Amino acid sequence: MRGIVGLAALATLLFAASCQPPERTAIIAPQILRVSNRNEPSDLDPAKATLPDEFAILRTILEGLLTPGPTGRPPLPGLATHFELSPDGLIYTFHLRTEATWSDGVPLGAPQLVAAYQRLLTPATAAPKANVFFPVKNARAFVSGDLHDFSAVGLRATGPHTLVVTLEKPTPRFPHYVASGPWLPVRTDLVARYGRNWTRAENFAGNGAFTLAEWRADQRIIVRKNPRWHGAQHVRLEEIHFMRFDSGDTEERAYRAGQIDATMSVPSSKVEVYARERPLELHRAPMIETRYLSFNTLRPPLDRTSVRRALALALDRQKLVEHVLRGGQPATGRLVPPALREPGELTALPPEHHYDPATARKLLAEAGYDPKKFPRLEICGWSASQVAILEAIQAMWRQELGLEITITIREAKVHLSTLAAGDYDIAFITAIPDVADAAELLGDYVTAAPENYPHWHHPSFDAQITAARQHPDRATRAGHLFTAERQLLEEAPLSPLYFNSKIWLMSPRLRGWEEDGLWSRNYHTVYFSENK
Amino acid sequence: MARGPVRASAIPTILTTLCRSASVNQKFHSPSLLRLATFIPMLRFITSRLLQSLLALFLVITATFFMIRFVPGGPFTAEKAVTPEILRNLEAHYGLDKPLWRQYLDYLGRLGHGDLGPSFKYPNRTVNEIIADKVPVSAELGLLSLGVALIIGITLGTFAAIRRNSWIDYLASTVGMTGISIPSFVVGPLLVLGLAIHAGWFNASGWYGPADRVLPCLVLGFAYAAPISRLTRGGLLEVLNQDFIRTARAKGASEFRVITRHALRGGLLPVVSFLGPAVAGILTGSFVIETIFQIPGIGREFVNSATNRDYTLVLGTVILYAVLIMALNLVVDILQAWLNPKVRLET
Repeated sequence: MRGIVGLAALATLLFAASCQPPERTAIIAPQILRVSNRNEPSDLDPAKATLPDEFAILRTILEGLLTPGPTGRPPLPGLATHFELSPDGLIYTFHLRTEATWSDGVPLGAPQLVAAYQRLLTPATAAPKANVFFPVKNARAFVSGDLHDFSAVGLRATGPHTLVVTLEKPTPRFPHYVASGPWLPVRTDLVARYGRNWTRAENFAGNGAFTLAEWRADQRIIVRKNPRWHGAQHVRLEEIHFMRFDSGDTEERAYRAGQIDATMSVPSSKVEVYARERPLELHRAPMIETRYLSFNTLRPPLDRTSVRRALALALDRQKLVEHVLRGGQPATGRLVPPALREPGELTALPPEHHYDPATARKLLAEAGYDPKKFPRLEICGWSASQVAILEAIQAMWRQELGLEITITIREAKVHLSTLAAGDYDIAFITAIPDVADAAELLGDYVTAAPENYPHWHHPSFDAQITAARQHPDRATRAGHLFTAERQLLEEAPLSPLYFNSKIWLMSPRLRGWEEDGLWSRNYHTVYFSENK
Repeated sequence: MARGPVRASAIPTILTTLCRSASVNQKFHSPSLLRLATFIPMLRFITSRLLQSLLALFLVITATFFMIRFVPGGPFTAEKAVTPEILRNLEAHYGLDKPLWRQYLDYLGRLGHGDLGPSFKYPNRTVNEIIADKVPVSAELGLLSLGVALIIGITLGTFAAIRRNSWIDYLASTVGMTGISIPSFVVGPLLVLGLAIHAGWFNASGWYGPADRVLPCLVLGFAYAAPISRLTRGGLLEVLNQDFIRTARAKGASEFRVITRHALRGGLLPVVSFLGPAVAGILTGSFVIETIFQIPGIGREFVNSATNRDYTLVLGTVILYAVLIMALNLVVDILQAWLNPKVRLET
């Protein structure tokens, strides 16, 4: 018996020993920002990364010619102080900072940039985001392997600090392409020396406001202030810790326990509580991201415009965002988010996709459909969190049109591949352009584009997009894009629901935080203030 | 995994003959011959089980290789679809442009050299590196949790058995039922809420300092302490009624000695047979705990690799788990044979 008491005492002792004061993952020292990171970067290499949040980390340690501006505004100077555009809109001349160096002190010049871009475009590198170079002359041909001579590609260093980019055709929003992640420079000599290990902290050299100090896979990435960066005297943060979180709930608990200063999201069930109890910490920012319903135009009865429009008109989007999403996302009957519109462009909602159940019923009747004999369609999504919104849509179609629709949730990649294969009826999906350009977003719906999930074909729409892509004049271009969007909505191969917004929690002491609408931000302007 | 019948064809004939004579002819008098008689069936048993495991492993690899390929979507399926020329480059880069049978043979060839291939999701890491990085974390989590489970489980079970129908017994079965019926994704966040967010004793998540081990190991260990306590109690009760215990008591052995020296050895048999599946379960089933506490272990990688269609990482983790489960079951069978000579001869 005494032995057993002893055993129990030992167990208690062991437990007590394990309860020593915890070692906090990082001290809340001034100017060390601990921010949640929800996706482990596949690699810290612009030629390998694909996700916006991977590029958000990359931008702290690498600086492109231009950097993204706050939502809806033009890109800001980065490695290039300024650029000139030829009158025909085809040749961009970027002037690099003459004092620019890498974090290891090696001077940075235009030839290194060309070498980095050549590496990214080489077919053997297999860069998944090489497509943001496609406006550059012959870049696409080089990527596809049809062209082997890189000197024919429109990227040339004409001096140690001058980079000349020749375009395929005028692209008024080209600076936005240059500000995108894959255009970040890399040290090709390090790639050659270390191979795939060049992105390990001990081998890495960058040119950003911070430099890579530690990368513990699936735990944290630490970047430290780079004293060699041209704007270093204005950078107040000493370190940024990107802390890895798989789940939104774990992330929120870590925030409440004081382990991180900013989250990536807020679990939807907790948005209202935070709005009520800690409003200073709850933040919202509009994203360049449209959530919409894609109708499979290859399948009857969705091959008929009137049926698709009836379905689109029967949806009360305002109700969806107010009562189901409740995250402050703006409802929309348009595909192109405000941040992608040219200043002064018409923003009035075309009548096609607003809530008009009477017209919806009329359209369905005119198409010769009796709701009772209407084929049983299926609407699919890719996450259990979408069941609520899909059920609301299901209820609206039942109530307004008398249609019975079933709901299916598939795993994300299964969902995407059934959409690409055209093996679905109606799908909930999201549109995020690689670059802040409406032509990029609308271009996804031209015939046979990889993301033309409705499998829609409309020659006049294709012609508008082609015209927009070729026109150097901003106003004319915007006009073509506007017409194209209107045609798209009139024909309704898809129906927009709402613009997504980012909702996150942030310490009230943080200042200078600006979102760019594509999940990036400039950390060099961020700092902790003493006051709340 | 159930013990299969011994396949005589799978082992050298001479050994078989020896074994037969050893297990059938029980009239050995010399101690060394007796030791040989118990050793040879054991060897025969182990050899046969190893061969069966190899075959099973091959089947697991083959089935996984083809199954993961037939799942819709691939490693490069993304929200933002890649253009056809880029997809071609990616497929060529990873050898996915070759016919499937060719890829399968290439994979087996590389596997023969211990190379599990490059990861599709993490281009700067190989599957070998990822496994080498993550397994120690899961092993640490698993072993600590197992320690917690054994200490709580055996202590509670023993008390419950020797004080049957007392409050300790009821407490043990209440704790046991709670552990079995409340899932760790409820216990975990509750403990975090109380001990990390409100009391501030621990971090809510992470795997950095020693204190970060406490909450996850408690939660994972607690779930397994419940069945261990019930098995200990049941096993001990059965043994405590037997004659040799009465004899031990009659000879004046202290109660402590009776329990620890005589009763527990037999009473823990059911726990030992449970340990094999439990260790495998703790190591493979740590996915939930790893997610709740953001622990960089192999359990999360196992699940995420399937979601990412990281073909080589899926195969790598499946092979790892298959080998682990087979090895653990073998070890348990040997342990059982060692603890209970009856089992030995039944093979």
